[in-house]
Amino acid sequence: MIRALLQLLGILILIPAVALGTLRFQNRDADGPSILFPGGELVSGELHNGPEPDWSFTRDIQTVELQLNEPLSSRLVWILEAEGRIFIASGYMGSFLGRLWKHWAIQADRGNGLAVVRIDGIRYQRRLVRITQGPILDSVAATMNEKYNAGTSRQDIEAGNTWIFELAPRQG
Amino acid sequence: MRMFNYIVLCLIVAIAVAITVMYVPGVAETIETRLLAFLATNAS
Repeated sequence: MIRALLQLLGILILIPAVALGTLRFQNRDADGPSILFPGGELVSGELHNGPEPDWSFTRDIQTVELQLNEPLSSRLVWILEAEGRIFIASGYMGSFLGRLWKHWAIQADRGNGLAVVRIDGIRYQRRLVRITQGPILDSVAATMNEKYNAGTSRQDIEAGNTWIFELAPRQG
Repeated sequence: MRMFNYIVLCLIVAIAVAITVMYVPGVAETIETRLLAFLATNAS
């Protein structure tokens, strides 16, 4: 009887596990991420080639699609505008599970940082530069708290619990 | 159920679920939408 119940439990766990694994596998080469799963290369959308935009429009945008070039994969991330520059954040980096979950941030930090961000259907070629200290982090933390109610601080960022990357222009 | 039969059943179920998710229209979207709704309701 117990054996039969355990076998039934195994099947009940197997079904959602396979479904989620399949969804993740299916989305790996998609043109952008889904809400839950990473996607592949950002292909569609106009590629921005003009001068540096006024990023203030991103204050009204909750998430953007970020694609790393190495490895070629994309995910949804928060977007933060501070002092005319744009940043993305990766939280929970002080814990093992967080670093496992946000592995893209480690890849971005260790790799060449080349990335593409798609905002409102327009692709911008950027370079991820991790910001670990400095007064700009006060503005970034304030924006993060105001926009996302994140409860972070410059000290929290400098301690490495939250990683901040500037989406810097490729040139220069 | 004997272990061999159970493993075979698990394999069949896994293949059936994977094929359903990949090839039946709307299934993937439905799962993701419901999972998202669940997380939005219960995750903190």
